[in-house]
Amino acid sequence: MASSSSSLPSPSSSSSSSSSKKLVLRSSDEKHFEVDEAVALQSEMIKQMVEDGFGGDVIPLLNVSSNILSKVIDYCKKHVDFDSKKKMDDRRRWDAEYIDVGVDELYHLIMAANYRNIKGLLDLTCQKVADTIKGKKPKQIRIIFNIKNDVTPEGEQKIRKEHSWAFE
Amino acid sequence: MENCYDFISWLGRDVSSTILKFLEDPADLVRVSAVSRSWRQFVIEYGFCKKLCARLFPAVSRIIRVVEGNGIMDHIEIGSNNSKEWENLERDHRVYGLLARGLMSFIRRDCISEAISASSTDNYPEESIQNTLEPNDRVDQRASYWSSKGESNPAVSETLTYKLISKLCVITEVSVQPFQAFFQFGFPIYSATAVRFRMGHLNPPEAENVHMDRLREDQKPSGDQFVWTYVSPEFPMAQENRLQKFKLPEPVLCIGGILQIELMGRVQRQEMDGLFYICVAHVQVVGRPLSPAFDVDILDLSGKCILKYYPEAKYCMSPARSSECEPSTPAHLRTVRARLMQRGMRGWEQMILNTLLGNVAVFADDDSDEEVID
Repeated sequence: MASSSSSLPSPSSSSSSSSSKKLVLRSSDEKHFEVDEAVALQSEMIKQMVEDGFGGDVIPLLNVSSNILSKVIDYCKKHVDFDSKKKMDDRRRWDAEYIDVGVDELYHLIMAANYRNIKGLLDLTCQKVADTIKGKKPKQIRIIFNIKNDVTPEGEQKIRKEHSWAFE
Repeated sequence: MENCYDFISWLGRDVSSTILKFLEDPADLVRVSAVSRSWRQFVIEYGFCKKLCARLFPAVSRIIRVVEGNGIMDHIEIGSNNSKEWENLERDHRVYGLLARGLMSFIRRDCISEAISASSTDNYPEESIQNTLEPNDRVDQRASYWSSKGESNPAVSETLTYKLISKLCVITEVSVQPFQAFFQFGFPIYSATAVRFRMGHLNPPEAENVHMDRLREDQKPSGDQFVWTYVSPEFPMAQENRLQKFKLPEPVLCIGGILQIELMGRVQRQEMDGLFYICVAHVQVVGRPLSPAFDVDILDLSGKCILKYYPEAKYCMSPARSSECEPSTPAHLRTVRARLMQRGMRGWEQMILNTLLGNVAVFADDDSDEEVID
């Protein structure tokens, strides 16, 4: 699961040669992730915590499991990189690959992005869900998201009649 | 529950609304609202169709209420307050869905209904703003154009104000053709340095028809007869005799149906008197009118308005109400009227034209005394 060497027990064992400031994040299953401050600050929530003086300690992220956290960190790292280079095509290609995941993982990413307030990731993941809805009939949408149809046939008939233009 | 990925219950309404905001086609929102009862409730309660309209055109946020049909049903209480409230939300969902569809359609046509006034006219009616409705710069072997009065200061600007064919129009571009005086030595072109466009509604908004008649023709607008809710950037104008197209940076929803062209700065001096003039041969406003299915009532000077939807008007070309026949005056009749006005109209012509146009005010007389015929 966790990519690279980010599961570290404490900030002191950092092997990075970079002199930039590091922060340590702790997932809900007690794994530690050391990241550059710039990467962590992609999250508005962490930014706020650092500003409030929590930066020196381990930052606990109670709702995020280690496999999702490592994926979120991948996103933040890459986007710190992109921000400095401004290559829109690269970014789009990378985002498309990154977001090519199952519904379950996608939902967990959405929740993590929402909880940690990472706008770019939230938009990317929500856009992905919206894209799966676009152009689909209600029946197809129910199948994709496994939703029980509790609209009565008369109710559905009424909707189709009132909005016939949307069902052509 | 394990395989149920109903995101509205999984992620909650806040995050789900972020997802639905990425749907840009109103048809998607309508189909989503038919998935299940909880989805329907969510889409309708959050007013996603209105939010979509407001994202497309921020002016939509000035609409404070929707009325369907003639609005009589609106005042009859049916059932409990809750079910009444839900009915209203359902109606808004339905109407804004259709509005979004209308706003996004690709229809393009000339949106000018009639000329209201020019800031100045040198010779009336020979050089009236009415002539700018005519595509050619010559009609019946006579020059057809509007001319300002002459000014010694080239910085003095002029305005031409028009009524659009619908009080709700999405405007995408305006074209202006300066007039080349083919009968003067050197064929001077009386263009302006730059143009910009304003859109808005009448002031006061309720005084509509009376107001229009008073305003027309050679009267100088005092400046407070209109309320402008949009001003475009300035576009440089070339001193060339062609229909110059000015594409707005993005489409604009004009609520109120009034458009004004400001001609800024003069470039051509008339040899005879040494004064600067601006002359325009033709004006075109291109966009998509939302009538007859949609109309608005503007409530106050801030532009707050009621959106009116006429379901039965979907397939007919003009609004059902006879008092509103004017906006749909066919182009060829408009041209006939413009021509007649230009050379001065005789009594019998007036009567025929009145019959053709319905109850429309027409001006007459060779010595340009205005006369309104009811």
